[in-house]
Amino acid sequence: MNSRLAEFFQLAVRQLFRRKFRVILTVAGIAIGVAALVGTVALGEGIRTQAVDAIRTQSDLTLIEALPGVEGNVLQLVTPTRAAAAANLPGVAASAPVVRGTFATRGQTYVQVIGVPADGLEGVLHPAYLRGSGFSPGSNEVVFGAALGEKLQRYEGVRIGDPLVIIRRSYDAQGRPVDEETTVVPVGVMEERGDAYDQLLLMDLDLAVRLGEGDGGYSGILIRAEGPDRVFSVAEGVRGIGLSPRGSFEQIEAVNRMMDMVVIFLGIFAGLSLLVGGLMIASTMITSVYERTREIGIAMAVGASEGDVMEMILAECAVLGVIGGVGGDLLGVLFAAVLNVLGGPFLASRFGDAFAGLLDSEIALVTWPLLAAGLLLAVVLSLLAGLYPAWKASRLNPVEAIRSGR
Amino acid sequence: MTSPILEARALSRHYPGGVRALEGVDLRIERGEFVSIIGRSGSGKSTLLNIVGGLDSPTGGSVAVNGTPLDFSDRRALISFRREMVGFVFQQFNLIPSLTARENVEYPLLFNYRPPAERQEKANALLAMVGLDGRASHYPGQLSGGEQQRVAIARALVADSPLVLADEPTGNLDSATSEGIFSLLQRLNRERRVTLLVVTHERELASYADRTVEMRDGRVVA
Repeated sequence: MNSRLAEFFQLAVRQLFRRKFRVILTVAGIAIGVAALVGTVALGEGIRTQAVDAIRTQSDLTLIEALPGVEGNVLQLVTPTRAAAAANLPGVAASAPVVRGTFATRGQTYVQVIGVPADGLEGVLHPAYLRGSGFSPGSNEVVFGAALGEKLQRYEGVRIGDPLVIIRRSYDAQGRPVDEETTVVPVGVMEERGDAYDQLLLMDLDLAVRLGEGDGGYSGILIRAEGPDRVFSVAEGVRGIGLSPRGSFEQIEAVNRMMDMVVIFLGIFAGLSLLVGGLMIASTMITSVYERTREIGIAMAVGASEGDVMEMILAECAVLGVIGGVGGDLLGVLFAAVLNVLGGPFLASRFGDAFAGLLDSEIALVTWPLLAAGLLLAVVLSLLAGLYPAWKASRLNPVEAIRSGR
Repeated sequence: MTSPILEARALSRHYPGGVRALEGVDLRIERGEFVSIIGRSGSGKSTLLNIVGGLDSPTGGSVAVNGTPLDFSDRRALISFRREMVGFVFQQFNLIPSLTARENVEYPLLFNYRPPAERQEKANALLAMVGLDGRASHYPGQLSGGEQQRVAIARALVADSPLVLADEPTGNLDSATSEGIFSLLQRLNRERRVTLLVVTHERELASYADRTVEMRDGRVVA
């Protein structure tokens, strides 16, 4: 910044100081707008962070299943080539092809089955067992998800070690149902995971294929990403080989999409109040230029150019913007703090234990970039609001301005 | 022979609606002269002053400064003319109320891009010359009318403008103070060789000048 502009800023501060009360009102307008914006965005970002954290801790985020994709209206099947490609994607810790199918028990419980190689079960799914253990390769042993195990035990008396008959229904050439019965041996029940695996029966991939599932191809590929930060790039990689990635990461994507919308919409409303602040600046500066018509005329008479006059007026606007922006940031931080102190317990009391986590976490998240954006917005808006008054001032006729008596 | 510092030829200023503030005014002012313009209000004195100071434009005729015609359609040229050639003194003093006496004197130099130290030094010297060295950090509201006008005179001199134009500089002052202002102007003219063009309607004050021009109804009559 050159020194003359710095002096214009000093003059601007003194000019504004002459009209303290009006300046305070104007600045309050901008500050409230900035605070509303900072507050709503902080709230949105805080809720987003909370939701994402909840998904991260409550679900198996690094587990992805690659399903057949659609590219140009053509179904892209899960071929062994694609399974090999998925295994070699950067960020993939382990992967295993799977087939899925549906069976029934004699007690008419329908069971979703997933066939996965025995090493894949351990290497990709990382199961923890409530009872028993995993199945061995090439065997007819099966593992229950927690909910399925509980259901079969309660309603059909199925216990670990007891043989269980599962029925696969197909149809013959005349369309008549043909039931094929297979005996499997439950060897383990997994702990509750909170996802679809709780309802599944897991068996060896070879067994599932032998039972007629898969139709010679795979239903999907289970993929374990190296870490939460690699999940999204692995999902992109899966899309890159023509398959469709599924997993709890999608919930994060959905939350992000939803929160983007919420933040944008709330931001628009908060932005409206900021706009009102901008109009107040325009109004204040138009009044100020009107009141100081003579001063501006004097400046022109002693050699100020039109550019000098514009710079002087805009310097005042910039100062208003800086004060308003800083004040708004402070108000916004205060607003967020109040939300954090009062909002968490309120939500927890209203919605119960599920929100207990909010008690000691921040539901409004103020970040430095957010504060910087608030300040920048206030200054830019103030300068925009000052353009017309500044232009008007620079166009004054010096003779008339000096004679105006104001 | 050198060109006059200021030469107006056939200068006229007509306003929309038929008002003719100036009608064919010829005026020639030599370097270092102290010229007073007298006339009743409405005789066109102020209009003439504003035009030769580059604040207003004529509707006819020409103004030459040091032999160079002033192009009234060139706003930039007018701005640098005001910056470098002319200092103004007004009837209403026209100081900036939020600036101290010294800062008011410095004010024109702000637009001449001079460094602050040089400006302050100059302003202090000029304030001393107009007899206000003890008043540098007073605001206009704390100064008497005569003191304010002295500040304004110092401001008109600060850019070393060779030409100082004063429009009824004592119009708001009592007669004793007015005498003081005019003798200050006379001293500046003699000691600093400043060319002065002063509008007044008081004949006794006009006598401080080397030469008096009388105007009536937009024309120079004597």
